Amino acid sequence: MSLLQMSNICKSFSGVPVLKNVQLTVEKGEVHALLGENGAGKSTLMNVLTGVFPRDKGEIEFDGNKLKNITIKQSENMGIAFVHQELNLFNDLKVYENIFLQKEYTNKLGRLDKKKMIQEAERLFQELGVDIDPTQQVSKLKTSQKQLLEISKALFFKAKLLILDEPTTSLNNDEVAHLFDIVNNLKKKGTSFIFISHKMPEIFRLSDRYTVFRNGEFVGTGNIKDTTPEAVTRMMVGEKYSDQDVYEKRPLGDMILELKNFSGEGFRNINLAVKKGSIVGLTGLQGAGSSELMQCMFGVTRAYSGQMRAMGKVMRDHSIHTAMTDGIAMLASNRKENSVIPDMSILENMYLSEHTLSAWKPVISKKKEAERYKKYKEMLNIKANSWEDPITSLSGGNQQKVFLARWLNTDAEILLLDNPTQGIDVGAKAEIYKLILELAKQGKTILINTLEIPEIQKVADYCAVFYNGEIIKILEHQEIDEMTVMMYSTNAAQTEEGK
Amino acid sequence: MSKKNTTVPGRIVGFLGENSYIIVFVAIFIVYALTTNGLTWSGMMNVFRHSAVIGIIGLGMGLICITGEIDLSVGSMLALDGGFSVIIFNITNSIILTFLFAVLFGAFCGLINGVMVGWIQMPAFIVTLATMLIYRSFAQYFCQHVDKALIGGGSSVYKMANSQSSYQTLYNFGNGKVSTIPIVGLILIIMTLVFVYITTSTKYGKKVYAVGSNMKGAQMAGINTAAVKISVFVIAGALVGIGAFLWIAMNASADPATTGNSYEMYAIAAAVLGGISMSGGKGKCLGILFGAMSYTIIDKIIVSLKMDSLINNAIKGIILLLVIMVQIIGPQIKQKLKKAE
Repeated sequence: MSLLQMSNICKSFSGVPVLKNVQLTVEKGEVHALLGENGAGKSTLMNVLTGVFPRDKGEIEFDGNKLKNITIKQSENMGIAFVHQELNLFNDLKVYENIFLQKEYTNKLGRLDKKKMIQEAERLFQELGVDIDPTQQVSKLKTSQKQLLEISKALFFKAKLLILDEPTTSLNNDEVAHLFDIVNNLKKKGTSFIFISHKMPEIFRLSDRYTVFRNGEFVGTGNIKDTTPEAVTRMMVGEKYSDQDVYEKRPLGDMILELKNFSGEGFRNINLAVKKGSIVGLTGLQGAGSSELMQCMFGVTRAYSGQMRAMGKVMRDHSIHTAMTDGIAMLASNRKENSVIPDMSILENMYLSEHTLSAWKPVISKKKEAERYKKYKEMLNIKANSWEDPITSLSGGNQQKVFLARWLNTDAEILLLDNPTQGIDVGAKAEIYKLILELAKQGKTILINTLEIPEIQKVADYCAVFYNGEIIKILEHQEIDEMTVMMYSTNAAQTEEGK
Repeated sequence: MSKKNTTVPGRIVGFLGENSYIIVFVAIFIVYALTTNGLTWSGMMNVFRHSAVIGIIGLGMGLICITGEIDLSVGSMLALDGGFSVIIFNITNSIILTFLFAVLFGAFCGLINGVMVGWIQMPAFIVTLATMLIYRSFAQYFCQHVDKALIGGGSSVYKMANSQSSYQTLYNFGNGKVSTIPIVGLILIIMTLVFVYITTSTKYGKKVYAVGSNMKGAQMAGINTAAVKISVFVIAGALVGIGAFLWIAMNASADPATTGNSYEMYAIAAAVLGGISMSGGKGKCLGILFGAMSYTIIDKIIVSLKMDSLINNAIKGIILLLVIMVQIIGPQIKQKLKKAE
């Protein structure tokens, strides 16, 4: 009798199926790894299980009970606990207050029984071997302690199944070891875990069984000891055919950008040399450091040590503005937050950045701006009625083109594109790849950070794969394929060698 | 916005929808016309005159609101700047020096707010609440503790000394007219036009909107958001300075206890009535002129109806609530109608 049995689960969002007849079975007292690429449907399934989304179809049986319409509250009461990646703790409350929130012990008059709650919390932490003071303010805890607090909290209320969503992202090696010890102990006592992770070494160290999803479909399940990281990676990636190649080799210019032992928040010891006109892919899992590196290069954050040279000039403690005057532009990720100025028109959104470079000419020349807009509209094929329309009236892909125009308008030599095709439909994506190649041919140097490997495969001359804040491997164009990149970015390559 | 109504009445409705301050102004003006015995030209010009100071302060407030911040200190700043400017006039007997001092001192007071809000990133509400107390207190304290001769011999008011040879010139400037239009009213109109130009046709103006619309986005687009925030506070301060100069020219004195009382609230109300969003990024400077004039007319209506002036603020408050309610509910009703279709 399995603890959890989910079968034939279907779920669509506004007509687009994200889960197609998937299944998942978790036994009592096991760690079950749930694997798949970004967008494979792992989180959706977990949200269905915990009652965040209702399912369209399918059966769920938990602990011998068939579950019909589940609410978040019900799933909690049944003993399912979701430990989220972004921790759901109240930073301004104390540790024990977080544990007992909404379930406080009180005396007859409704006065909180703090002593009892603190004692209970202490007993729990002792049992688990967790070193946290129950009266400590949560904001003062380390991230690893917060993670353990989340888990402890779930266990206090007798959770039978814990879902750990990438629990090790912000932990160091010792903390990971400690977490795994605790998980192993609990496993022996009969608690089950669903372990969502992208890190192969950890998956192979901790899990008993695995299930793989791809594009919302169930691909396979089995025992970890019967498989290899390579085989699992192949299941995740599949035999994807890559669309016809738009890539072509171009003559490259002189060295234009050099990083030497470059370190900062989230990345370290980066060495990279880029020639004029080349397209470099940066990739890695979320938080592996490639996006952080880009932000630092653009002057959003400060570097800790090392050197950055752009166009022969050493950049030291530069700001966004100096980066721009030196010919660097960055199309930021997370368009809505970092690029869109929602109350402004298309034209205004486009010319904003160039204006910070030409502030010595204070008056806007409508005619000149309109000419430039027309030029970029044609070049980038922006689909818009009037430039006076608000930027928010455009689709994601067209918005992104406007922001690309914003940066081309600054005449930058080096373009840093952070996740440029995020939230854009397939057609617009293809257009953006073509543009990137076209721009490179005209001599622009382009760095693209993306988690989507097929994108890099299409355009990049070479690709730097990040793991844990460092470049773990540089792959030449012909070496780039999803399988290989995945192997390095999950560090499966080393696990394989170690085996 | 995808489909624009291109018929002439459609355009007018669209224009009024985006510039609702005109409707408010016209409505209030009609009430005014009905309640006074015969609308006179000089009566209307008087509205201009009495809107001048609050309108000019409102322009600065509008700019600050567009960046998503607020300045509660402008009323106290007016009293302090006005008082000190009187002292400068009494010492120098120079209109130009008095004007320069008023503007620069106002800009300095604004800079103090701006540095704390923009650079140190303290919340504007708290910073300017504190400077509101500080500026008002300074105005009152120095009035009691400087040589009486400097404040024109008065005991609790900063008075321009009428023994100064420039006294009459300055007073005439504050109360004079150019072909029946009050000079101070003209200055309000010129300042409004200047700010309409700055906000619609200069690179700086667009930066102000961008910072208020999406601060992170503006920063990532290369805009120095701290500098923009500091600059709007400095500009607002300089405008208070101009307001203070007009005030003493009109009244020949500044009372540290009452001058500019509640002006921060009137300025905010004028900006909001003019269509500027308190959350930043939206609104037009032209609206502030109408917002300020609407409020002055309310004063006039109350006088002509011979009502107790103590009811004044209640009416102003109610009108503000109504306008904002319409602004908020209007689009919601529109959407419901659309859904029903």
